Amino acid sequence: MRFQIPEHELMGPGHVACPGCGAAQAMRYVLKALGEKTIVVLPACCWSIIAGPFPYSSLQVPLYHTAFETAGAAASGIKAGLEIQGDTDTTVLAWAGDGGTFDIGIQALSGAAERNDDILYVCYDNEAYMNTGIQRSSATPWGAWTTTTPVRHFKNRPKKDIMMVMAAHKIPYAATATVAFPDDLVAKVQKAKTIHGTRFLHILSPCPPGWKIPSEIAIRLARLAIETKIFPLYEIENGEKYTITRQPDGVPVIEYLKFQGRFKHLTKSQMDDIQDMVEKEWENLLSKTERSH
Amino acid sequence: MKKRKYPKDEIITFKSANEMPPLAVSLGSMRWNKTGSWRYIRPIYENKTPPCDEACPAGEDVEGVQYLCEQGKFEDAWKLILEEHPFPGVQGRVCYHPCEEACNRGHYDEAISIHAVERFVGDYGLNHGLIPPRLSQERGHKKSEKIAIIGAGPAGLVCAYHLARMGYTPLVLEAHPVPGGILRVGIPSYRLPKDILEAEIEHIIKMGVDIQTDSRVDRDLLLKDLKDFNAIYVATGAHESRNLNVPGEDASGVMSGLQFLIDLNLGKKIAIGKKVAVIGGGNTAMDTARSVLRLGSEVVVVYRRSRAEMPAIPAEVEEAEHEGIPIHFLATPIRVITDQERVVQMECVKMELGEPDESGRRRPVPVEGSNFIMDVETVFTAIGESPQLSFLTEDIQTEWGSIVVSDHGETSKKGIFAGGDAVDQPRTVAHAIGSGKVAAIAIDTFLRGKDTAKIAASVQIGQKGSVSMERYLRGEIRYNASKVVRFEDINLAYFEHKDRVDLPRADIEKAKQSFVEVNSGLPESAVTTESGRCFNCGVCNMCENCWVFCPDISISRKTDAFGYDIDYDHCKGCGICVEECPREAMSLEEEQK
Amino acid sequence: MKKVITGNYAVSYGAMVSRSQVIAAYPITPQTQIVELLSEFCADGLLDAKFIKVESEHSAMASCIGASATGARAFTATSAHGLALMHELLHWAALGRLPIVLANVNRAMGPGWSIWTDQNDSLSQRDTGWLQFYCESNQEILDTIIQGFKISEQILLPTMLVLDAFFLSHTSEPVDIPDIEVVDTYLPKYNATYRLSTENPYAFGGLTGPDHYFEIRYKMQETMDQAIEIARQADEEFERIFGRSHGLIERYYSDDAELILVVSGSIASTTRDVVDQLRSEGRNVGMLKVRMFRPFPRQEFRNAVRRAKKVAVIDRNICVGFGGIFYQEITSTMYGHRDDLPIFGFIAGLGGRDVTPNVIHEIVTHAETHDTPDTEIIWIGVKR
Repeated sequence: MRFQIPEHELMGPGHVACPGCGAAQAMRYVLKALGEKTIVVLPACCWSIIAGPFPYSSLQVPLYHTAFETAGAAASGIKAGLEIQGDTDTTVLAWAGDGGTFDIGIQALSGAAERNDDILYVCYDNEAYMNTGIQRSSATPWGAWTTTTPVRHFKNRPKKDIMMVMAAHKIPYAATATVAFPDDLVAKVQKAKTIHGTRFLHILSPCPPGWKIPSEIAIRLARLAIETKIFPLYEIENGEKYTITRQPDGVPVIEYLKFQGRFKHLTKSQMDDIQDMVEKEWENLLSKTERSH
Repeated sequence: MKKRKYPKDEIITFKSANEMPPLAVSLGSMRWNKTGSWRYIRPIYENKTPPCDEACPAGEDVEGVQYLCEQGKFEDAWKLILEEHPFPGVQGRVCYHPCEEACNRGHYDEAISIHAVERFVGDYGLNHGLIPPRLSQERGHKKSEKIAIIGAGPAGLVCAYHLARMGYTPLVLEAHPVPGGILRVGIPSYRLPKDILEAEIEHIIKMGVDIQTDSRVDRDLLLKDLKDFNAIYVATGAHESRNLNVPGEDASGVMSGLQFLIDLNLGKKIAIGKKVAVIGGGNTAMDTARSVLRLGSEVVVVYRRSRAEMPAIPAEVEEAEHEGIPIHFLATPIRVITDQERVVQMECVKMELGEPDESGRRRPVPVEGSNFIMDVETVFTAIGESPQLSFLTEDIQTEWGSIVVSDHGETSKKGIFAGGDAVDQPRTVAHAIGSGKVAAIAIDTFLRGKDTAKIAASVQIGQKGSVSMERYLRGEIRYNASKVVRFEDINLAYFEHKDRVDLPRADIEKAKQSFVEVNSGLPESAVTTESGRCFNCGVCNMCENCWVFCPDISISRKTDAFGYDIDYDHCKGCGICVEECPREAMSLEEEQK
Repeated sequence: MKKVITGNYAVSYGAMVSRSQVIAAYPITPQTQIVELLSEFCADGLLDAKFIKVESEHSAMASCIGASATGARAFTATSAHGLALMHELLHWAALGRLPIVLANVNRAMGPGWSIWTDQNDSLSQRDTGWLQFYCESNQEILDTIIQGFKISEQILLPTMLVLDAFFLSHTSEPVDIPDIEVVDTYLPKYNATYRLSTENPYAFGGLTGPDHYFEIRYKMQETMDQAIEIARQADEEFERIFGRSHGLIERYYSDDAELILVVSGSIASTTRDVVDQLRSEGRNVGMLKVRMFRPFPRQEFRNAVRRAKKVAVIDRNICVGFGGIFYQEITSTMYGHRDDLPIFGFIAGLGGRDVTPNVIHEIVTHAETHDTPDTEIIWIGVKR
């Protein structure tokens, strides 16, 4: 099989992402899918650094660095500013990490989504505050070590279901994606591009230093996240219509957990608990999918 | 859109605040930032040996053939095989295809139908009148040295073919009235139609190879007529059937299986009884039994070991059984019973398997008191053949009935080379072809005064002795030849399970009544589909994964050639490209500091 | 067109005649009417603008920042806690060099909840890099919005204009609303130098190291220094077109005054009456109304108090732990220039407490009867 991702590069080399960074790959694919008529809005996140310091940029599309909690609102303002000046076809891409989406930025995101402002909001989710040195976020999964959830007291709350939060806003399009399936990711971005209103894309982006994995297996882990059903690939249209875009192989979660230093303290029974949680969530997703078709 | 890209890729310096913009705004790209300095391991493109290539004694670029066939480039695929040997049509029918055994895909679902694909390619070449690929004028210019090749079997002909490509004009001497050796006189036409073989030999003749048939070489001729030849290649095969060494074996109804096949193939009339026993478990036994069947007699095979130890190609055994030929495993004749010098019965004894012998197979031991009697009128022996080497002079060393040769086919006498079934190596067409190639290289390096050992080592494919003539003649290094791709090296995420396409099953009832080829070949669409299943182990096919997954935009397609370039100024050495290469065509090297 | 309107409506009209293109605002008492009227303007097509009904003041400023970055004219209004919530983004707008105009209705900070006026909300934003204008009347409010865009778009720094809760926001006065076409001649279309558009791949606000940040701050200050002259010219040009001006610091009987009262906002109106009365009594008192607080027109102030014997600063704010904020600014402005000049610092009217003529009289009396201030903070009207 061959991937069919667009040729044109809108991201250049020399950026300062860590080796094997999933967030860097995600940006590359999303920009390929969106093309030149794109403006990126960047709240505080790893990408604030990756994009490069003043007076440089690693992107060949314009980009606005904005405050941590403002991606949704700043994107709304940019879209409004463009439209009032007659530019109606530029995609305004809010590009936030999980902290900037699940936590500090959720208010502005919710505001924009409720207004159905015409923006594409991408959360690249590396499951913790990685840029500040791996602190827990509400996107950190159950059981994970972070520097604020030490192994003696690892995170004992499940990852926030941001997709459900977004679905509750009845936005026209929300989807999950990951860097191991670039075709699926690009197709979703291209689909989102044709839709007006608030579109939300949740991209699981492996973080080698934060997940404590060797950089070369980053893609493998993203793939395993899908195949284990930990991070299913699906779409939600208008908050109602659920479609699973890739049927997972159903690999046991241990195959995903065992490679990652952040989970290495987990016992067999804790991993079983995770398996149970994953199965339950998957059943939920399946029943939503069945109900909506 | 006016200026899409930054005018500057360099470091920007401001001498004073006046030169600076009033706010933090970008004026240049990050390209100046050579993130390659972060790297401590370096990805490289490094093709490796696919296990099929290593397993092919004939040294075919099996993977390359699949790659071309997937794209429908059958002419290129044919020419690629012809770089190695002139017999794709033959090999696509008679090869025991160890490549499929070695195929990594076999660990995933089923091996690629390499054998069937080769047959299609061979037929494609013949049907389309393709001409073997020529070497450059420089490489293939006319050479004056005289080379004699004794035996026009697969080893001799392959050696002649390559020497002719190199510009020599070898003389091939063949004892039989037709060229082809075992291919022509040993293998029945239901397995290998004569026209296929003849057409492929025709290619060799057209290249300027002089084949003199009915020219059996004896010691006299060797010493006199071939005295002033610069090099001689002995490829006389193994045509002497071994004896059963049992009482009654001299009776008129006991014959050599191989001789029977030779006579049959040369169109001689052979009288056989209604009830026939064939002794042995190799291909000669199978060919003999199936030929007997086609002549209308009842036939049974008697083999002293079990199915697992049978040296015959499993598919041949399967087909023989499918045609209804019974095989008595674990039995051996101990006496041929005659009546008025005619065979009437054969006494056998049952065997059981004991300790492994020097061949690694378990040695058969007779079971006392298990004797039984079979009614037979004709007994064919097919328990092995030996070379006939009486024409050789004493200075050519032999051992256990075979000519002793170096890894490069050199005999103990300078300028004399040997190969094929006359030397101690597995008695397969593929091995014969391989030894013909080895000898051609050795003869060329010998005549050109080059270091044979060094050059031979540089053209090895993997670890099992196969050599690449393409590499020898064209200098193309497609592989890190010593590294063979294992199944564990394949990234299975990029392959979907897919059923293997096999040759269509023949109508046995019809097939067993004639010497017409049993199996028909694959249709073109099946070939492209089947080749598309190939993992292309170890060989870049520009699947794009490295380019797709590079987070650092450091991989680009070559603009003027096949493959990719890595921008080491920016590659951070994350290793994802190597990990996500589906086929182990990339490697990581430690960075030199 | 003259209309009798509240200060809040003066803000709305000002934003309209300035052709604001993107308005992002969140309601807060006592600012709500500004938002309401602007919503109606947009809904009725009187104003061709995008009104983003954001979910917080923080997002209001974030949206204005985004819009302004694209080169659109962006406007917002808020008050007190809303302004405090914006704080981070006030820095962002200024360092981002975005000519946003913000109307802040001065309201005291809680708790306990207060909706009444004082200046602590806006003065807390003193150091964010915004221009600040404190308005005395509804006309001045409207005019300052137009002038604010004019100045900001030249110097690429945002403007905050301030009006007192209720005393201005909810008090109706006759206001001349200029014709929009006339305003167009004064305030042409904003043409941003560095604009967020797909024509150029500019990245705005990237990581700025010690090698560059210092100079960016330096350039901001340099621009602020120039802003005083640019604001003066803007006011003069305004006068030529519209027939009225407001000055940066208004001098009222101050040139020959022995005691000068320094005030801001609506207190100036009351003070004006008190000065008139005192002058009629022959008392040599004048007033300086500080309209432009940031940048602070230091030289203009020094010139204005050249002949004064005493200066009394009335602060409707307090920097707890130090004193009145205008007082600090003025003592620091005068340091080394007129060390003989006694400067009195009065705190009055916090949390909306009325600053009546009597309060001003008490201040004048206090200043007249003391050679020098006894304390740095003189509380007026506090129940002790």
